[in-house]
Amino acid sequence: MKKVAPTILLVLVTFIAIYNGAAQIENFWSALFSPGSNEILWQIRIPRVTAALIVGASLALAGLIAQGACNNALAEPSILGTTAGASLGTVLAVLTGFVQVGSLGAIACGALGALLATSLTFKLANLRSKLSSFSLIIVGIAVSAFFTAAVGLLSSMVTRADARSISFWNFGSLALITQENLLGISITAILGAAIAWRVSPALDRLSLGDSTAFHLGIDVPRSRLLALIALSLLAGGAVSTVGSIAFIGLAAPHIARFIYGPVHRKLIFHTAIIGALLVVAADTIARSAVQPNELPIGLITSLVGAPVLIALVTMRNNIWKTQ
Amino acid sequence: MISINKISIDLGSKQIITDYSDQIPGASITVILGPNGSGKSTLLNAMAGDIKPTKGTITIDDTDPALTPASQLSKLRAMAIQNQNYTLGFTVKQIIEMAGDSKEIIEALALTELSNRQVTTLSGGEAQRVSIATAIAQKTPVLLLDEPLAAQDIENRERIIKLLQKLAVSGTTVVLVAHSSESELIWADKVIKQA
Repeated sequence: MKKVAPTILLVLVTFIAIYNGAAQIENFWSALFSPGSNEILWQIRIPRVTAALIVGASLALAGLIAQGACNNALAEPSILGTTAGASLGTVLAVLTGFVQVGSLGAIACGALGALLATSLTFKLANLRSKLSSFSLIIVGIAVSAFFTAAVGLLSSMVTRADARSISFWNFGSLALITQENLLGISITAILGAAIAWRVSPALDRLSLGDSTAFHLGIDVPRSRLLALIALSLLAGGAVSTVGSIAFIGLAAPHIARFIYGPVHRKLIFHTAIIGALLVVAADTIARSAVQPNELPIGLITSLVGAPVLIALVTMRNNIWKTQ
Repeated sequence: MISINKISIDLGSKQIITDYSDQIPGASITVILGPNGSGKSTLLNAMAGDIKPTKGTITIDDTDPALTPASQLSKLRAMAIQNQNYTLGFTVKQIIEMAGDSKEIIEALALTELSNRQVTTLSGGEAQRVSIATAIAQKTPVLLLDEPLAAQDIENRERIIKLLQKLAVSGTTVVLVAHSSESELIWADKVIKQA
């Protein structure tokens, strides 16, 4: 029962998310099975919930890959600088006037920013000695802070509605999602998940350390590069479209490992389901809790994610051995 | 056979191995002895392809491990490192199966009762046996082991030595680093002393 609970919950929460909103939908069930029949349902609510599903799955997978590739329980897109890099890449592209938030161009720039920022973190963490968990996290936090500050400065100096607000880039929002945005995030989610699937056996072996992974036949730099590309696509696509949503990349993989064990190929599907569940639930709370206003979704995910982080450090039988 | 041809290895500014040559016969057990810091593990790492000698070459049956892709090398040699640190809670069986078939080696190294335990909960000696079992499960012609006997009790030391002898008889070239005195190594075919 424990193993199918996330999938059942996801179906249930998705229906609640589609049903629930500021406007009551008349004849909900018949509208649901007649595509295009109800504008609020088909133009606003279903695209938003679909985006929440894709973004949640993407961020969760990005966290799984980050933790596997770094062999580090704390690695996740926002700690490695990936999220901030994606935000900066998108903001810079939008401010030049060539792309709009949510477009394929913005997603490409977000993914590129994510890749550059994460590569910078790895490069700096590796500069003086072998890559260690400690240096990776410290450098990641510093890179993340620097890029986040740059996003804040740019957003404050150039006030343009289409570049979104500091709050959007720091806490995320699915409020402005349209049907057109779904194509881009679907592409990055599918590509990222496909690479994650390919690289997942190598991630299992990387948990034994770089040296043992190499002895078992893993080309460590190549596997890590592939993981980095998948991570950047997944986080870049999600962040460039809905902003930063904290803790999904951290919480979802840990919940999945707790239920399903550590094998990465098995975890890809389950982590995506749990990530989707968390974001759909958080978004539903964000838009229902203080109607007619809306809370930033990142506030809700932080409320869930922070206790997971504390549990991770304090739990005795945790699947990760924390030194 | 492993050929070591006039190798020198520098780590940082320190020269660890200087102009060293040797031949390690196939289907045998070779033990590398020496005091701490004498370069025993460095020599083993160079044979495994982890380190490229600054000068000279090492070949395993005419293949230079430092120039061979990881996937190809993993069919030629297996290695168990010293102090394997497991961070993620795979079971003992899952870890060994990352290298190959687990059944036989789990029995041979008395790991049956531990096979479903998470590796993160094992003692140092148990974790070391899992590391040895993983290397053996790769079924390669060359087996390199860094201090495999260090954290073992007498019973497990004997168990491991017997298994290595059996592997050598069946054609495996076994090279290991140890801290024993030379007189104890009656089971070794060759001893290399690093100064």
